[in-house]
Amino acid sequence: MASEAVTIGHVAEHAEHAGLPPQIAADVIARELVATTSGASKRFKTIAWTLGLLAIVGIAALVMKWIDQGDDSTRWGYIAALVSFLLSVTGGAPMVAMAPVFAKANWVRPVTRIAAIFSFAGIATIITLIPLVLLLPPLVTEGARRRTIWFEAPNYSPHVWSTLALVLLLLTGIMLFYSAAIPDFAAMRDHSTGWRQRIGKKFARGWVGTDVQWRTLRMRIGMFGTFYFLILVFVNFLITTDFGQSLVPGWRDAIFPMYHTVSSFQGGVAGVVIALWVARRYMHLEKYVHLDAFWSLGRLLFALTLLWIYFFYSSFIVFWYGRSENDIATLELQIKGPMLYAFVAAIVLIWFVPWWILIWNRVRRSVNGMAIGASVILVGLLLDRMRIFVPAWSVPPEQIHEKWLRTIPDTIFPDLFDALITVGMISLAALIIMLMTRVLPAVSVWQVQEFNLIAKPIKYIRGHASLVAKPD
Amino acid sequence: MQQRRTLDQPYTNRVLLNGQLDTPRWWAPAVAILGIAVIIGLLVIGAMINKGLGVTGLGRPVYWGLFITTFVFWVGISHAGIMISAILRLTQAEWRRPVTRAAELLTVFSLLTALVFPLIHAGRPWRIAYWILPYDFARGIYPNIRSPLIMDPVAIGTYLTGSTMFLYVALLPDLGNLRDRTTGWKNSLYTVLALGWRGNPRQWKMQTVGGILLSALMLPIFVSVHSIVSWDFAVVPSVEGWHSTIFAPYFVIGAVHSGVSAVVTMMALMRWLWKWDDFIRPEHFDALARLLIVVATGWLGFTFLELIFALYGQDAPEIALREMQMFQWPWNMLFIIFFLTAYAIPVPLWLFKRVRTNIAMMFWTSILVNVGMWLERFLIIVPGLARRTPFVYTWEAYRPSPVEWTIFVWSFCWVTFLMLLFSRFFPLVPLFEQKESQVFTQDVAIGRAKVPAIVREAD
Repeated sequence: MASEAVTIGHVAEHAEHAGLPPQIAADVIARELVATTSGASKRFKTIAWTLGLLAIVGIAALVMKWIDQGDDSTRWGYIAALVSFLLSVTGGAPMVAMAPVFAKANWVRPVTRIAAIFSFAGIATIITLIPLVLLLPPLVTEGARRRTIWFEAPNYSPHVWSTLALVLLLLTGIMLFYSAAIPDFAAMRDHSTGWRQRIGKKFARGWVGTDVQWRTLRMRIGMFGTFYFLILVFVNFLITTDFGQSLVPGWRDAIFPMYHTVSSFQGGVAGVVIALWVARRYMHLEKYVHLDAFWSLGRLLFALTLLWIYFFYSSFIVFWYGRSENDIATLELQIKGPMLYAFVAAIVLIWFVPWWILIWNRVRRSVNGMAIGASVILVGLLLDRMRIFVPAWSVPPEQIHEKWLRTIPDTIFPDLFDALITVGMISLAALIIMLMTRVLPAVSVWQVQEFNLIAKPIKYIRGHASLVAKPD
Repeated sequence: MQQRRTLDQPYTNRVLLNGQLDTPRWWAPAVAILGIAVIIGLLVIGAMINKGLGVTGLGRPVYWGLFITTFVFWVGISHAGIMISAILRLTQAEWRRPVTRAAELLTVFSLLTALVFPLIHAGRPWRIAYWILPYDFARGIYPNIRSPLIMDPVAIGTYLTGSTMFLYVALLPDLGNLRDRTTGWKNSLYTVLALGWRGNPRQWKMQTVGGILLSALMLPIFVSVHSIVSWDFAVVPSVEGWHSTIFAPYFVIGAVHSGVSAVVTMMALMRWLWKWDDFIRPEHFDALARLLIVVATGWLGFTFLELIFALYGQDAPEIALREMQMFQWPWNMLFIIFFLTAYAIPVPLWLFKRVRTNIAMMFWTSILVNVGMWLERFLIIVPGLARRTPFVYTWEAYRPSPVEWTIFVWSFCWVTFLMLLFSRFFPLVPLFEQKESQVFTQDVAIGRAKVPAIVREAD
């Protein structure tokens, strides 16, 4: 009654606009969504070919950069920033699918598949990481051990464990994707033809939807989701310390791994919003991807934007007020000189602009407004990664054992290789996501079917509401 | 786990208003005992102000001890209200309903208590005015507005004001209910406080919107309060163990851990004392325990980062401090108790549903958490100051004096005393939330099964 009843009555006025869950027959949902995987449009093919070419150019540029600058680690800061950026977006996105599921949120149902597909784009991150692993200095050089989280561990610990952790993240992400996709493979088996049907048959593993199969499915999703989250946090911890902090003498920032993780979630949500916008618009999924998904993603993105500034400020104020020699040197490295522009731009694009955009309900409830906000955040995220990792890699290896940074190295500016690699690897990630939507529907069939089953539109007082089942 | 009950409105009114319309037999003796303890505490505080801080164990170099630890502890407990009430309200968690009022109350009373500690810690509390207000225009002496001594009271004052408003707005429908069921001076009191509440659609709408707006506005304040408290320490590079960038979120998540645990303690007491078994059910403890597992594990992650990055710098003084904290008597004993009670014992127990739904177990484990969280604050604040450093000529171990311990115990009696007083005049479980919950819960048929469902705005 009372308070929330009024809210519901109030919200029901625009619920018609937002659209109550359409009651569509399960069979129709399966057929329509499976049909989206076949018959690629000319535009799709053109974009895919373009992205493919850019990806090939990017990989070639990576090889050429290795040949040309493979002996100078200070020139690889932009590639480190790119790895961090790709890890953030492709690693963070699957969590978008998982976190609301744990909280039993229903809005996330049309989003889960596209978010999980981002896991596959982690391949681009691993390819980009390879030269960085080779360039990362060992823990002990000329008898001096640099500061790392590895303390007395063997010499090549960061190289081995960071790489393994990233590969494990990729594999867990794929397993998470697969666990949640089994019923949809069965739908492919039952509703498609040719190679898609064969793939569906192979990967559905005899799925017929018995109680045991559903229980196992949910258990697997929960297990891989939890495991994925833990690995993601661990990978962020390793990448930020081994490929960032430990390269700068005196930089000791305990919050940095968490800052990176939070901005990874932010980048992930932004990436999902853009992918969802594209899928909705060009795959004609308006019937299944409602405004509510964007609205809820908008609230999540807004919350993450605030969390980002909180983590950023928590770190910044301690350096700023601390004023120890370490603090001053670290700040001078990261936000002085040309990096000041990247620093200011990152704050404006990751926090200030999205904050002013996303605070408006009207923007959060608009598909295009959300896409703009998400794009701004991704640009800001890339700049933020540059202002962090480029100065870190610019420190000459012979200085990294010192107590703190006594001379601030000159800023390294990007060259043509850096630009081509950045564009190429982002294109590769986008291409992988695009191609995966040809293998399985971009919107999970069983999630939509289940939502139709548990949510019924009802008349409530003078308006409309949903009666949502909450099974244990 | 859902244990729904169909409870009609007269029953809800009768049971939840039993503290206001009747007086439980245990209430008067409990209030009298606590009242005596409060008076003794106030006398000790008065004596300390009269004699000076020499009666405490404080001295150079340990100038922050039990008082500041307890201040941080109570500020931490105050995070219960917003975490439970505001965040769960915004996320529409249905199980929040019987918990919200108690959590909001805990926020207000623990903040009031926290504020006392910096005041008495100053030795001469009237001098606080010099820190906050410009007192000597002629010589151009102004307070330093960048100082934590300014920012702390501002943040806590704002939080206290906001929390009180939040509590009051959520109390309005129940005040209207009480007004209609009382006579005499009580009726006059509730009439004034209810602000003409009649429960018409406009009033419900305003109350709902007000609650949501306050929830959203309180969230940044909630975060800022403990962050600012943490920066009292973190911006000081000269004390080992304090100068860490992670302190702000680390303090906030620790506060949530401790605050939510305090709510569990309080919920168990409320269920036992007022016999509200139909309203505060095992499912609520189950949900709170699940929340606590997540929060505690997040807190453990932050603890790990704080520790690893303290060692990461490989600075000799920092390593010496950590060795002292973890391996030297008596700090090592405190450290072990802290770790066991704040995480290692309660969280593994909460993984079992049997424990999560056992109210006695939840009560004791939540108390353990707060023992651990108090020790955590003590271990952050004191060892950094107590460690012997070069060129320090006055150095001795810090031992809190009986005066400090008495004031520490007084703070718990004071909060409980205020709670009991409140319960005599206002319901501790919001009636309107319970009734609303009854209206919103329905069953939906899925196949041949009837599944519990909830009415929602279209997701």
